[in-house]
Amino acid sequence: MKRSADQQAPHPAAALPQGRLARLQLTLSRDKSDTLLLLAATVLVLAPHALHLPLWVTLLCATTLAWRALITFRGTRMPPTLLLLPLAIAAMGGILLTFKTLLGREAGVAMVVLLVTFKLLEMHARRDLFVVIYLCFFVLLTNFFYSQSIGMGAMMCAAVVALLTAQLSFQYSGAVPPLLRRLGLAARTLALAAPLAVALFLLFPRVQGPLWGMPGDAGAGRTGLSNSMAPGNIASLAESSEIAFRVKFQGQRPAQSQLYWRGVVLSEFDGRTWTQPPRRDWRATADTLVTHGQPVNYQVTLEPHREQWLFALDMPTARPRMPNMGSWMTGSMELRAGIGIERRVRYDAQSHPSYTLDGGATLPRRERWLALPGGFNPVATSAGLQLRSEPDPAKRVNAVLAMFRRDGFSYTMQPPLLAANTVDDFLYRTKAGFCEHYASAFVFLMRAAGVPARVVTGYQGGEHNPVDDFVTVRQSDAHAWAEVWLGQRGWVRVDPTAAIAPERIERNLQQALPDQYDLPGMEGMISLGERNPWLARLRFQLSAFSNGWDQWVLSYDQQRRSSVLEGVKDALGNWRTAGAIAALCLLLAAAGALQRRRRQDPVEALYGALGTILGRHGMTRGPGEGPNAWAARVAGSTLAASKKEAALRFLQLYSAHKYGPDASAPGLVSTLKKLLNGTR
Amino acid sequence: MASARLSTLTQASSQLLRRQAERWLFRLKETEPGEVFLTRRRVFILPTGAGVGFGALVLVLLVASTNYNLGLGFALTFALAACAVVDMYYTYRNLVHLHLRPGRAHPLFAGEDAQFELTIINRSASARYALWADFASVDTARYVTDVMAGSDAALLLSAPSSERGWLAAPRVKLSTRFPLGLFVAWSYWQPDARALVYPFPEPSAPPLPMGGTASEDGHGTAGQDDFGGIRSYQPGDPLRHMAWRQIARLDPALGGQLVTKHFEGGNVAELVLDFAALPPTLDLELRLSRMTRWVLDAEQRALPYGFHIGAARFAPSVGAAHQAACLRALALYQDSGAVRP
Repeated sequence: MKRSADQQAPHPAAALPQGRLARLQLTLSRDKSDTLLLLAATVLVLAPHALHLPLWVTLLCATTLAWRALITFRGTRMPPTLLLLPLAIAAMGGILLTFKTLLGREAGVAMVVLLVTFKLLEMHARRDLFVVIYLCFFVLLTNFFYSQSIGMGAMMCAAVVALLTAQLSFQYSGAVPPLLRRLGLAARTLALAAPLAVALFLLFPRVQGPLWGMPGDAGAGRTGLSNSMAPGNIASLAESSEIAFRVKFQGQRPAQSQLYWRGVVLSEFDGRTWTQPPRRDWRATADTLVTHGQPVNYQVTLEPHREQWLFALDMPTARPRMPNMGSWMTGSMELRAGIGIERRVRYDAQSHPSYTLDGGATLPRRERWLALPGGFNPVATSAGLQLRSEPDPAKRVNAVLAMFRRDGFSYTMQPPLLAANTVDDFLYRTKAGFCEHYASAFVFLMRAAGVPARVVTGYQGGEHNPVDDFVTVRQSDAHAWAEVWLGQRGWVRVDPTAAIAPERIERNLQQALPDQYDLPGMEGMISLGERNPWLARLRFQLSAFSNGWDQWVLSYDQQRRSSVLEGVKDALGNWRTAGAIAALCLLLAAAGALQRRRRQDPVEALYGALGTILGRHGMTRGPGEGPNAWAARVAGSTLAASKKEAALRFLQLYSAHKYGPDASAPGLVSTLKKLLNGTR
Repeated sequence: MASARLSTLTQASSQLLRRQAERWLFRLKETEPGEVFLTRRRVFILPTGAGVGFGALVLVLLVASTNYNLGLGFALTFALAACAVVDMYYTYRNLVHLHLRPGRAHPLFAGEDAQFELTIINRSASARYALWADFASVDTARYVTDVMAGSDAALLLSAPSSERGWLAAPRVKLSTRFPLGLFVAWSYWQPDARALVYPFPEPSAPPLPMGGTASEDGHGTAGQDDFGGIRSYQPGDPLRHMAWRQIARLDPALGGQLVTKHFEGGNVAELVLDFAALPPTLDLELRLSRMTRWVLDAEQRALPYGFHIGAARFAPSVGAAHQAACLRALALYQDSGAVRP
């Protein structure tokens, strides 16, 4: 390395023996900006909590932060502990009053938030700084109790960068680069950490929580199908665009009109509400299922709905394997999980679209599917009795469907209110209803006509996303239909809604409804998307991204992890891939070594080599010994003449190159190399 | 008595064992001449207290994420864990591949602090921040510096001295916690530097032994004839005897004082500082201290003085080089030549 006279002088301040004093002064001058940076990071972490914390906690936090900022700006003293301690105790009392407890999630979050803000006022040593930053990281995590959206993910990245910047800003002891450079360093740290973090995320063994009993307030209220059906139930569900579940088909996707997602089978009718059979009967009937044709395989990602039922395409042939909760199948071919679904679950299912269920001459427990409450709906009951004149049950079904088509029935989400005799009122007065009205009235008429019948609720249809090939089923796809037992054909699905509004089944609810009944919250998205293909594409992209987020970030579990591991094993298992990876690693290492060698000055490298060679003859270059002094020592040594000459010539050339006024001669490196060989 | 001896013995042996373990573990080397390059094998790294706390934080986050099944919480947990790993690499990189070079250390008198210069040279393309340096025996480092890319920084490390002779620079420990403070990386270096420690000048030494008989009773006879050097001004000295040339050379800020020309009688022999002339009953170090004081006094008064100690015999002279040679001879008198760490 050439040293020139104007080379930077040693740092005078740093070289002072009073290093501690110098450091103190530097910290003081930097303190303001560093503290403000920390405050900004804290605000970023705390801000989302303002949405759900009690107002007084939010206001107290804001005041405290403002106070801290004021102290920083004016450079005044921090408040004494004697003042802070009663304040903190009062805040704890406030939390106890508001939440009636100090335990539990909500109260805990409020406490941690207050703790962070108070700790900011009680920062004296460097250790306190670490405490504040670590608390901030924890508060950042508590944000995810309330939202784990993609936006929250982006906010998390920003907050981590801000907190890392604050942490590293306090580590400088002399020169401090500008804020942008420090932010860049923190961002680079996070970016370098990302591949490792992703690997840890995918490969770290996941224990299925909870580790201890979840506090009662862990799950917020969820919408979803209920275990009963009364007029208006499903219509209210249809207003929600929340996702019920997502389905990924393996292979061919069945036609839209075939997508009947079986949920709950209802058999008991009290004149207004349909309910499930008594619990003891759930497993009682031994239904026999005969399947035809090819099965359909698919994976369902079910959003939590707090109930036990699982959804599967008509007709599921086996109960899905549910990790950690078990599952079973009822006699009415409903799928049930062992416990309520409190978090997103994923299961593989198999269905046969073509089947015969309980086909035969007799139906076990036939009376259950024919029972009607006495004294209700006299008109409908007599109409059903009249249908009995028709000997073929299938024709009785068609007669009722024909009536729905013919007699001016309409399909609406806002049906008029019904009187006590709900079926009579609907069939002969209002003639306007949603799917549950039709299913209810149809099953009633069938039972009155002596055909075993039952109501099935679940979802129908779903939106196929061409981007990621997932079918998204929303709450608005909730549906009710009927099943009738037709002797040898067994239980046959009949959807009376299809008779009134075939579009509902063919496409989706939006097309089935008249224009004035746009779904709230969805009108902008769907109707715009339908009109503009580019927007539709964008909407699908966003939806696919959101689905990927749900599938890979939010509900990544042990099950998915083992499938990823298997995928990795498959990819790396064969020697060709492994060999390619090894070769790539070797190549990278070689390139790195080459670059490192290139970076060193070749002349210096040769000079070092000469030192090693002469060292063997007892002439190590002394500390601070220049080439000329060294040469004088070599000249006086007992080295062989030819070697001595080569060494002296080498040193002379080196000296001229290093300290001479002229630019180095061409071919210097090769000449030096030759001379070096001569000294060996 | 015996048990006390045994305990000191075990203490000494455990200390020895510990030192050996440290030697092996941290690859402590003897002095290395010239510039030293911090290879990756010379850099050690361990988590700091804050780093251990960070580990606990990650554990808490992991437990919370598992319990509440927070997918994003897992992402945060693993991102922070990976950041700590990256920080470990950055901390290591902040220290490795630096060049260290010892500088000159000026001679000093026993009891003063030796100033060892240490130059940290950064030939890499990245700036190194917050490098703490001090002797390994010091608990908390006192010196900190930044070294920008392609630049160097010099530190003056001060070590106390107690006895005359060569003082070798103690082992130096260079450490850094940059950037996040979760890890501390450090490196040991035994610089090839030593400082010459002169004997401590006796504070209240007898006056200079001014020739012949004067040295016996400690009084010289002031004469008017021959210029005999200069001495401190005393009230009553005639103005024409003021040594103006010497006064002009002395800086009053450095304790300079008025001096007077000193004339002696014709029979005064030249001033010879002879170590052998000092009473041998005096302690060796005290004699050396006295000689040191006399050398300084003679220099201050610009009196040419001869100097004899052991085999060293310097002809009468005066000046910085003569003084340095005399003090060096005093510092190294009967010194085995071993360098104390």
